[in-house]
Amino acid sequence: MKPEDTTTPEQPRPPARLPLWANPRIGLVVLLIALIALFTTLRPAFLNTQLTLVPMQADISVYAVVGLSQLAVLSLGHMNMAVGRMAAMSAFASGLLHDRLDAPLIVALAGGLAMGALLGALAGLIIARTGVNSFVVTLALDFALIGLVSLLYASFTDGVAFNGLPAGMSALRTDTFADYCAGDLCGPPIPLLAPIALVAVLVVGLLFRWSRTGREVLMAGSNAKAAELSGIPVRARVIQAHALSGLLAGLAGFLLSANNGAFSAGVGDGFLLPSFLAPVLGGTLLVGGAVSVLGTVLGTAITQVIYKGLNLLQFQVDELKLYIGLVLLAALSLDRLRHVLAERRGVPA
Amino acid sequence: MRPFVRLGSIVGVLAVVIAASACTKKEDTPADGATALTAAQVKVALVPGGAHPYFQPWKDAGGKAKTDFAFGDVTFNETAGWDQTKQNDVLTSLAAQGYNAFGIFGVAPESINSTFENLKKQGFHVGSLASCPAGDKNLADFCLSTDVQEAAYKAAKAAVEAMGGAGNLVHLTGNKVDSNTQRRIAGVQKAVDETGGKVKLLDTITDIDKDLQTAQKAVADLLAAKGSQVNAIVTTAYNPAVAAAGGVKQAKLPIKVIAIDDDPTIIAGIKAGEVAATVLQNPVGQAYVGSYALVKLSEGCTMATPGVIIDSGSFVVTTANVATYDNDRAAKTTSLKSDFDTKYLTCAK
Repeated sequence: MKPEDTTTPEQPRPPARLPLWANPRIGLVVLLIALIALFTTLRPAFLNTQLTLVPMQADISVYAVVGLSQLAVLSLGHMNMAVGRMAAMSAFASGLLHDRLDAPLIVALAGGLAMGALLGALAGLIIARTGVNSFVVTLALDFALIGLVSLLYASFTDGVAFNGLPAGMSALRTDTFADYCAGDLCGPPIPLLAPIALVAVLVVGLLFRWSRTGREVLMAGSNAKAAELSGIPVRARVIQAHALSGLLAGLAGFLLSANNGAFSAGVGDGFLLPSFLAPVLGGTLLVGGAVSVLGTVLGTAITQVIYKGLNLLQFQVDELKLYIGLVLLAALSLDRLRHVLAERRGVPA
Repeated sequence: MRPFVRLGSIVGVLAVVIAASACTKKEDTPADGATALTAAQVKVALVPGGAHPYFQPWKDAGGKAKTDFAFGDVTFNETAGWDQTKQNDVLTSLAAQGYNAFGIFGVAPESINSTFENLKKQGFHVGSLASCPAGDKNLADFCLSTDVQEAAYKAAKAAVEAMGGAGNLVHLTGNKVDSNTQRRIAGVQKAVDETGGKVKLLDTITDIDKDLQTAQKAVADLLAAKGSQVNAIVTTAYNPAVAAAGGVKQAKLPIKVIAIDDDPTIIAGIKAGEVAATVLQNPVGQAYVGSYALVKLSEGCTMATPGVIIDSGSFVVTTANVATYDNDRAAKTTSLKSDFDTKYLTCAK
């Protein structure tokens, strides 16, 4: 042993630089590229702009926001089982505002978001006040909202959807930036929905990375008791995180309504599973305290690419489910393997 | 560093705003599908909303149409899983695979017009099969479907007759947040209203067409709770019909069952006198004549009335005509095809 080691006081070792292979996001990007390459080789139509890439981007936009909605409460180690029904209620609020008050697009959107945030805050308030598990509270809320959505549509519409959409909403569905030109220069073939989702991704990303509130939510998720003792208002943070989850569910409901072309009672029906799948695939912990916004977007992209690819290969219904399950299991196992390897080599992953 | 970030963001936002304000929207170019194809170039995709026994005859009917009308190819894809977003995905994937004419049972009648519009914008021909869009508009080239309200009315009339014109009736049906279910409920209500209060609609049980188990459980619950008060059950969905026929037989109650469609258990029930009547639809005619019309449209014919709604027929089958009902159905299919030639299609040749 060298003499200076014993004489100088021990300095905290600087954290080892994360090698590229140990970065989970890089793993997801590699997987995504590999999947795209695989499907393109098998079916060149995978790169068809109008029929494959544009619709896929629109779907990724919707489901990335769905994933973020769940991520907002996973940050606390909570769950939001009512994510689909909050989206349905938001779509109802938007539809009602347009139908009865002739509200323009932006007002209808704001109304929908407010409804989502309000429902989320209500769930958060019940959880914070009573201490009942978030799974139970949001599951109960989901049941109540299933009935309420159905009743509201029956009372305010002819059936199960509002007729008509605010001006501009159809363009969100049908147009891409390639349809808008300055002179001869036209935009890229990206659907108009995508920037809305991108704003949500940036805001949630910045919130959890840079804002004090976001960091406090993560600390409350990591250890509520310790956070409380450090002076963090844990109850307020629980309510805020759930309100954010509701707000994002509302945004997802709006995006899906735009994508499908109607504010209807069925909006959000298929949100629950993807809402968990994308964040978990992207590296967000179910126990709380750590989130990955970029990972969620990548997780959504991977899921949609797999789905689109298998669709193009024309798998039949049972095979499709089987292979989606297998590919996702393989993706999660690879990630786990990467994690174990990283731990053995002493690199945080 | 921060001022630069802020300055950069402001410049970025300004650049986007200026670029956006200088943009103009490209004129919509007419769809290139207007160019006529030869029959051999037409590839028809028959796409139900999900896996369901009702649609199984579409496979063979599509195959028969391909042989009879000598067109390029036909596929049957039931992977939509009763989710409109997934169905849209399936449709664009099929289009990317070269399918250029679509016979679609839309998952969500309230928003399926948007899907039709998207496909037509790309130049494809679209027929709405077995279900028409909700509301007054049909943006598909045509809709060839059972008039569900009329079929439910016929079924309820048969039930009233079977129960001797008085008593308690129960209606079992499918997804409540579906405008077709709302039409069925209206059809049954109309027949009940016509009895002037002699027949009472005891209950309308919805959301039990998901699978046979769900329907069987609902029927068992109904018979246990109100079996002795019920005189007749009218069903306007496939699984509830099979479950009601089996449930009533097992419980040995004197309840008249009016079924729908021709599952082997239902037809056996009619022959044995356990099922009073069934109302048949015409899935074979929908797929066969629908494919024919799509081929004709692709070859350059146009619809005399774009978006016309055509009843594919519904037939009440009792013990009296159980042996011969398929002849009526085949005759209807033949007459539908000749109606397309003489009334609905305008062809240059």
